[in-house]
This record gives sequence, C-alpha cells and structure tokens, in this order.
Amino acid sequence: MISSVLIANRGEIAVRIIRGARECGVRTIAVYSEPDRLSPHVLEADEAYCIGPAASVDSYLRGETLIELAKTVGAEAIHPGYGFLAERADFAAAVEGAGLVFIGPTSDTIAAMGDKTEARRRMADSDVPIVPGLTDAVADADEAEKKATEIGYPVLLKASAGGGGKGMRVVEKPEDLTRAFEAASREALAAFGDGSVYIERYLARPRHIEIQVLGDAHGNTVHLGERECSIQRRHQKLVEEAPSSVLTEEERTAMGQAAVRAAEAVGYRGAGTIEFLYEDGEFFFLEMNTRIQVEHPVTEMVTGVDLVEWQLRIASGEKLTFTQSDVELTGHSIECRITSEDHLSGFLPSTGVITHLKIPTGPGVRWDGGVIEGSEVSLHYDPLLAKLVVHGADRKAAISRMSRALEELMVAGVETCAPLHRRVMEEQDFKAGALSIRYLDEHPELLEADAPEEMMIAATIAAALLEDEHRRGGPPRIKRPSSEPLNAWRRAVHPWGADRC
Amino acid sequence: MIYHVKIGDMTRIVEVRRDGVTLDGTPLDVDFEEILGVPVRSLLLGGRSHRVSARRVGSEEWEVHLGGRRVSVSVVEARTQAIRETTVAKSRPSGPNPIVAPMPGMVVRVDVAEGDIVEAGQGVVIMEAMKMENELTAEAQGIVSKIHIEQGQAVEKGKVLVDLVALDLAENDV
Repeated sequence: MISSVLIANRGEIAVRIIRGARECGVRTIAVYSEPDRLSPHVLEADEAYCIGPAASVDSYLRGETLIELAKTVGAEAIHPGYGFLAERADFAAAVEGAGLVFIGPTSDTIAAMGDKTEARRRMADSDVPIVPGLTDAVADADEAEKKATEIGYPVLLKASAGGGGKGMRVVEKPEDLTRAFEAASREALAAFGDGSVYIERYLARPRHIEIQVLGDAHGNTVHLGERECSIQRRHQKLVEEAPSSVLTEEERTAMGQAAVRAAEAVGYRGAGTIEFLYEDGEFFFLEMNTRIQVEHPVTEMVTGVDLVEWQLRIASGEKLTFTQSDVELTGHSIECRITSEDHLSGFLPSTGVITHLKIPTGPGVRWDGGVIEGSEVSLHYDPLLAKLVVHGADRKAAISRMSRALEELMVAGVETCAPLHRRVMEEQDFKAGALSIRYLDEHPELLEADAPEEMMIAATIAAALLEDEHRRGGPPRIKRPSSEPLNAWRRAVHPWGADRC
Repeated sequence: MIYHVKIGDMTRIVEVRRDGVTLDGTPLDVDFEEILGVPVRSLLLGGRSHRVSARRVGSEEWEVHLGGRRVSVSVVEARTQAIRETTVAKSRPSGPNPIVAPMPGMVVRVDVAEGDIVEAGQGVVIMEAMKMENELTAEAQGIVSKIHIEQGQAVEKGKVLVDLVALDLAENDV
C-alpha cells in the first residue's frame, strides 16, 4: 500500500478520501485555498498546505503547484477526487512524469474517454450501443444546423471536452439552433478551454442509468451494478439510487457486461463509471467518467465494497480479491445531494455562512459532508454541500428512511434544495419508480412552495413572536406553560387548545 | 401587541400578550423556547413539536424555516397596518419590472439595445454564475429604456441591469 496521498480537492469528496485513506493507514495531505483554511478537509487531514487564493484557477486547478508540493512534502500519490483536475489527461501525465502515483486510470485512458467523440468511436468498435448522432465535433453553427436536420429534432448539443452539464443545450426547433450552439460553445470554452461541440439525437424520456466498474492493473475488471440518476436538473444529478427500480436481472447483466467491455476497451484501471441512457429496454452509451463519482456511496451501500479503499489498493498495484460472481446487491440505497441552491427560484446559487447544521443520524443513514457550522458558502466553488445517503431493506424502506433523515436535517444560513428532496420522496411517480431524466420538468409543482395548513400556522405564530421580540428588543414575552400533567394531556387531546377560550 | 401576519395571500391576526397568544381571536397553547448556542427555536404548538429557524430579511419580513420548508412571512403591527390602509395612494402602473441580477455574476451578453421592444419571456441579458449561463427574460412586454451594464461586467445580486417601460406609457411620453 502507498504510504501517503495528497488530495487535490476540497469539500465533501476531500473528506471522503481522507476517511478512506485513514482507514488504510495512509498519511493524508490536504491542500486548501485561502478561504478554505477552516474547511473540514483541512481540519480532518494529517497535514494541510495552502496553495493559493479563492479562485480555482489560482488554487485547486494549479497542477504544477500541486505536483511540486507533493514532491516537497513527500507524498507518494495524488488523488484528484472529482471535478477540478480529475479528468485532465495532461495533469495525470505530469503526475506520472514526476514519479508520483496518479490515483485513477492512465493519462491515455483519460484522454481517450475525455474526448467524447473519440469515446463514442471506441465504444461503437467494442459493440457498446451508442446514441444515434455524430461522432465528430461540428465546425460551426451552419454545419450544426445541417446535421441537426439529418438527425432530426430535438437534438442535444454537447461539449466535446465536457461533463457536469456545462456546455450542453437541448434544441427543440431549428430557429433556436444558432443561439444554442453559440452558448454551448462559449460555455465549453470557459469551462474546459475547448469550445468544440458535437450533436446527437435527443431521447424523449430516457432514464440515466450508470454502471460502476473497478479494474486493477493486472487485467481484472468487474462491475458493481448500476446506479439510477434520473432525477436531474439541467443535466446535474440531484437524487441517485441503487439498484434501479426498472432493470431486470437480464438487463443488469447485459449493461454490466457492456460496461466491462467498455472499460476493457480502454484498459481501464481504478474506479470508473460508464453512463448510459436507458429507454424501453434499450440502453445507449453516454460517456465514461474516469474518476470517483459524486454518487459512489449508493454503490458502496448495496455492495459493501469501499470504492475509495479500492482506488488506493489498485493504485498500490494490488489485485482485485473478488470476482464478478462475488458481487451481490443487498437492499436499496438512495442519495440526495444537498446543494446550496434555491429550488424555489430556478436553482439560483445561495451564499452565506452556515450558522447552524443539524446532521441526520440513526440507523442506515450516512452523511458525506464538506461543510460545518461556520463554513462560508461562496460562489467560488461547486454548490454541493453534502450528500445524504440512506440504506434500507428495499426501495420503500429506503424512501421512508430518507424522508425521516431529511426531516432531521437543518441547515441555517444558506438556502438548500433539501425541501425539494422531501417532496420528491413523497411524490407518487417517484415512489412508483416511474422516472425519466425529464422528471423535474414533468413535476413543476415540486419546484413551487407548498403550504400545509399546520406548517403555515406554525410559521405564522413563530414569525409574530419573533417580530414581537425584535420590536421590544427582549426575550419571549409569553410565559412557559406549566408542566402539570393535565395541561399536557389537554394539549394532546385538543391539539389546537381551542377548548380553553 | 396585535400583528397582521401574511403568508402568500393569507392574512391572519395574531395577538401576543403576556399571558398567551391568540390566532384570529382563538387562544393557542404556545411554548416557544430558545435552544442555547443554536440559532434554532423549539415551538410547541398545541403539543405539536416544530424546530424553527428564522431570519429577518427586511423590515417586517421574516424567512421562516420549519419542517423542511421555507416560508416568507410579513408581520405588520396592527396600528401601522391601519395607518397604511387609510393612506394608500392610488398607484399608477409604472410598467414592467426591470431586469435585475438574481445572483452575483458576470454579464455574458446583452441581447437588446435601448429602444428595442421586448416581448414577455424574451431573453434580455445572459449572465454567468458558477460557470453556468442563465438567461434573464422580460416578465412582460415593454420598451428597453435604459441599459445599465455592458458585456463582461461583474455585477452584484440585486443590481438593476436593464430598465423597461410599458409600451403605452412610452407612447404617451412621445
């Protein structure tokens, strides 16, 4: 096993990697930008070094600085997490070139899968089904318009170098194409330094189902079943679960085998994910993510396999100690991404200091978080604050458990999308497993404020008492009621106390 | 003290007295306690337990979090309310709302020029925040009367980007 790892990331994934490395007895070295001085990943790591000011380009994206630092402090390996430098082939190559271990696949694999058109070509060659469309980037808006007419509307424009929804546009009508193409290209250029965009058929109501794979450096590859991540907004996942509520055992095997073929086709080493769109029993390769995924915990919960541990073991040259037939799925797991976004105003980012955080606990609940009370949430970084993950005996139990956990959660100081998750857990189509990536578009009512009578009365009373306190500048005016049992009994029987007029 | 408490379209009257609280004249069993060191209150309302976190977001405006929901509540003291009701001036429509930055970010592009007529839903400004582009659209038809920003400019939340006036108002002024 490697002896030390520098974690070139921040937030919840840095904390997750520190936890995994600690459990393997690996020395953990965190890096941080100036405003992240008191972030949990700095507090939890064995060592922590400042790498620059707030802006990512001046800190977490400074590959050379990170490699220099790793050498200086004697780190044996670099774990990139997800985002930032995780899928930058040049960074992986530079790490390898510096004689350090890059925790992930080889730079060649990253390059092949990072170029979406190249990836599609390779998948087609390995008999992995792909979405009808082009395998090459389009030159300009005029060409895009021509190709879109050939493929048929609606079409999807995607950044060749992209991921995470950036540089992506759905175009329903020809007259919207030019503007969408320009916006996608500009976004792609800003986010990835490469403005090339390609185009493919847009499936009407597909599900997003992805397969987790693990490959060692000795030619062994297994898959760990699927995750369904259909609940998304603007192509960013919000709720993920394992297993999917729709796959049959045969489909699971077929998709798993296709994913293993895909991974083997690029000589994949480490933990990776093959994303598919699934519609009516058909599935199509979407892309491969050559890194740990945000939603990896749901796979860990149903397989019992620690993916971060295996990333470290594979990077250390160890062989997989289990085969495909050893992989069994137990129960059901759901993850809700707790982001600092205001779902009631079109998911606008919310900023501020977290003044209070009550983390759900209890049976079957896991919290992978990157913030604590006092953390400042700024616009510099991803709005993902934490992931709330549950495991239950079956899907129904997992949903109930998630509802309960969400009820325990309290975040004060910034808006979060947690209230949306609560409503999703209660929504009939979600409960029935009737999902597609259009789920939120088809349930706009979930993005509006709801108003159960009892809650509104409680809010009314609380606000009146708070305003009263505020105006008088003093403590609550009302007396604490007596604790005599009769009083308690009376309250229980007559919830609104109306009998006491 | 008597308060007019408004949530959405619903207004209720809450009286806060030393010996208790009434809602629309009905006494309630209320126990509202601070939790030491935590910005959360425990509200027992007729025995039902609520955890409440709230902040004052403006004069008489509260944002209340409870039961996993966020509720905007306005609380106006009764006498103030009465004075306002008697002095409400007839307000004349001033045209469509201006385009305001809903978040801090950067102006990627301005899609209109002063004097342009925009339709409801038409894109006016494209802003970028957290590397995502957001198109800001006109709420209603109008004429672009003033553009306050330019491409590439960084703006704070709440900054007025583009002023619009209603079509008929603009015509009257000509």
